[in-house]
Amino acid sequence: MSGISVQESTTGSSLQDRLQQAMNSVNSILLGKERQVELAFSCLLARGHLLIEDLPGVGKTTLAHALATVIGAHYQRIQFTSDLLPADILGVSIYRRDREEFEFHPGPIFSELILADEVNRATPKSQSALLEAMAEGQVTIESTTHGLPDPFFVIATQNPLDLVGTFPLPDSQLDRFLLSLTLGFPDPKVERELLTAEDRSKVLVKTSAAMSTADVQALQEQCQRLHASEALLDYIQALLAETRNSRWFETGLSPRAGIALLHCGKALAFINGRDFVTSEDIKRVFPALARHRMTVPHGMEVTVEEQLTSLLNQVAIP
Amino acid sequence: MLWVIFTITIALIPQALSMPVQLLPLIVLPIAWRIVAELRGWRPMPLLVRIAATAMTVFFLVMTYGGLFGRRAAVSLLTVMLALKLLETFKVRDARIVASLSLFLCATQFLFSQGLFMLVYAASVMLGALVALTLLQRRDAFTGKGTVPPSNHGFLQELGYSTKLVAMAAPAALVLFMLFPRWGGPMWGVPESALDAKTGLSDSMAPGDIQNLFMDDSPAFRVEFDSPIPMIRDLYWRGPVFWNFDGRAWSGAYYSRNVPAETLPDITPDSIRYRVQMEPTERHWMFALDYPAITPNRSRVTIDFQLLTRPITRLRSYDMVSNPDFVDMPELKIILRTSALKLPEGYNPRTLELVQEWRDEADSDSEFIDRILRWFNTEEFSYTLNPPLLSQHTVDEFLFDTRKGFCEHYASAFTVMMRMAGIPARIVTGYMGGYHTGSYLLVRQSDAHAWSEVWLEGRGWVRVDPTAAVAPGRIESGAMNALSSRRYMFDYEWIRSLKNNFDLLQRGWNEWVIAFGLEQQSRLFQPFGMERLDSTKLVVILVIAITLIAALMSPLLLRLRISSNRDAAAKLWDTFRRKLDKAGINTSAAMTPEELGQAATTVKPGEAEEIGRISALYRQIRYAPDAPSLESLRKAVRGFRAARQGR
Repeated sequence: MSGISVQESTTGSSLQDRLQQAMNSVNSILLGKERQVELAFSCLLARGHLLIEDLPGVGKTTLAHALATVIGAHYQRIQFTSDLLPADILGVSIYRRDREEFEFHPGPIFSELILADEVNRATPKSQSALLEAMAEGQVTIESTTHGLPDPFFVIATQNPLDLVGTFPLPDSQLDRFLLSLTLGFPDPKVERELLTAEDRSKVLVKTSAAMSTADVQALQEQCQRLHASEALLDYIQALLAETRNSRWFETGLSPRAGIALLHCGKALAFINGRDFVTSEDIKRVFPALARHRMTVPHGMEVTVEEQLTSLLNQVAIP
Repeated sequence: MLWVIFTITIALIPQALSMPVQLLPLIVLPIAWRIVAELRGWRPMPLLVRIAATAMTVFFLVMTYGGLFGRRAAVSLLTVMLALKLLETFKVRDARIVASLSLFLCATQFLFSQGLFMLVYAASVMLGALVALTLLQRRDAFTGKGTVPPSNHGFLQELGYSTKLVAMAAPAALVLFMLFPRWGGPMWGVPESALDAKTGLSDSMAPGDIQNLFMDDSPAFRVEFDSPIPMIRDLYWRGPVFWNFDGRAWSGAYYSRNVPAETLPDITPDSIRYRVQMEPTERHWMFALDYPAITPNRSRVTIDFQLLTRPITRLRSYDMVSNPDFVDMPELKIILRTSALKLPEGYNPRTLELVQEWRDEADSDSEFIDRILRWFNTEEFSYTLNPPLLSQHTVDEFLFDTRKGFCEHYASAFTVMMRMAGIPARIVTGYMGGYHTGSYLLVRQSDAHAWSEVWLEGRGWVRVDPTAAVAPGRIESGAMNALSSRRYMFDYEWIRSLKNNFDLLQRGWNEWVIAFGLEQQSRLFQPFGMERLDSTKLVVILVIAITLIAALMSPLLLRLRISSNRDAAAKLWDTFRRKLDKAGINTSAAMTPEELGQAATTVKPGEAEEIGRISALYRQIRYAPDAPSLESLRKAVRGFRAARQGR
């Protein structure tokens, strides 16, 4: 797996190292999930937001927390409940009698990394407050616009099973998330390690930041300069066209999703130390990118994942 | 769904047309109901209604056919049930059954007819059903449980796909056709009267019979001559011979049908040699020129030189030699003389009067005959297709009142006059002339003709054609040109010549497909030094041929799937993948170079390094900004030799 490495550029050398180091320490906290960690990092580098759909207790929060720690980001966790109000996320203006004016108290959204837990439990009003902030990169409260920090990275989680009293996110809002991941149960070996080794939260506390948010910004810059060949763009287009064939899904991927696919592929290629994107990168990113954007046509008894896998197995790589 | 209905409808049409009328609603109603149901989105019929409809249908069929067995009844049952099936065809599974059964139904049609037209028709039904099946298959494959999403495949594409399927199956079908062992007899299970016989000439002749045939341009038989072709006016194809006259209709005699000819003509150098290919007639007669010198297999020549065989239910070919100079029966037996002179009492008094008068004036038989023929010629007799109806004294009315008639009127009147005059006479029917297409002579039903034979002392039976006296053109150039008006609308010259050309096709079809039986099959491999083939040898050759076809086709089919418009690197990659395929590594076009490398590593650890190197090289060329040259990849792929699996 060679390739012309980014390491040749002088400034990037240490950056690339630090990125690897950061990923390694996340992997040492979240055991046996190298693929997901890699995807989470590429999501971060592609300036996207991440949605994790899985059962409680498989490490969603741990992943988010570890990520925040290693990149040295300011981290906030918002627990979404049905009585959560937009102000609880964005912040409020409070009247200061001493100064006879309103003073804005920023909410938890003003952090570099946010974990929005059980995002589908909140009412649509609160959901859209978060999602608007994600899309715009800024918050407007009472006609004052407050910029959000950069980098700004949201990890939202959803519980796919317990659907009573939830408000499922509409398709348009799901589109704001770049990737969606499932963590899944660990395999037996990893599970044994979890049982015997030190408590994860203690490991987390001991972990120090491997890079800074400034590094993240620089990396985000570099990622987008990666080379994407004609053949690769052909492949992306072929995939997009195939998703729009009604035999697979109700609707196809949007052009925006196509751009996101390319960005994410670039980020993944960068993480793997290449300066060009290959079909392999696209193929690995694709399921995570398309999962939450697709619905299977009514009447078909297959899951989206199954459809995506067979779609990938059918589209010839140009 | 509409497409399925359409397919089944065209598959049903010919069956419906050949069924009794009272069964027609059973077919039309379900189809109509289903179309409306499709357009309006109705629910399927309740179960009780369907059961009732089925019971009613079976009842109707038993009433009509007296049972459910037999070819007709069984096919009708299939037809009606298939139409009824539409009442409950709402699922993909049912629709698929209907489409498959349409194919089957279309095959049953061959039990009744195997003509060229049927072939075209069956081909279109087959295409329709295939398109329906592909459509169903596509939908089913991608929608799971029956809900039908809109298909974005065009109709033409589907048609092309189906045609491709048929084309792929064609070589195998051809081999099966040529090599599948045949039985000598009629096809197993198909009754004798299986084919669409044109009755042609029958065993009696009443005024108007031949006239009906004359409207029919379908072929009666075809002749290839080995010797020079005689003049058209000498081509009298002998068929049924009639002795008995009941005042209106002529019929054959028991005696002449059952007594064989005493002597057959010798084969002389002047004899005419030819080969006849007859359309099925379901009658006994085979046709030959005067006088047949040999008898084909399973046939016999009667004393009046009719060539008889078992009813002809399939195309039949036979070689024939005729000696035109033969003298038929110099001595006339009493029993034959009596039946050649017999006339019913009390008919045609006016003719009798005339004949007796002329008979007295004439010195000899031949002078008398000449006088009558001259009379036909000079008086206002005319040759027409629409003769007035005749009542009791047919000959009287024809000779003295109407004077308009067709060959059968003339032959009949002439023979009656001969018998009145005491000259033994009989009527011969058959065909006259034919159309020469260049390689063979085509004789149609419309060439049917009737003439007389009189027995003269010392000359035996002599052919006299009174029609020739009235309308010489009929004899010289065929019946068609002897008429001044068209037989029916659209009876134009160019249509006739079109029909003649079409017959060339039809004949090829007959010769190469329908008549392809045991004989032709066993001769098939003569050029390769195998004289006679028995079933065992045939089966062996068949298996070999099918295997060969499969072996030749499958790489072609596999390669078709890889689109050809790819650049050089992609082509090299395809080559590499094919090499890996041969080595037992499953590859697909949707695999990335990395995946391919991994697959190769698990199957062939020994070559993993080499495969990995080529994959990495290809990946560089495809995706990297400063790609290495194509030449290195080419060299690597060419040099790659994967060891075969299992060695």
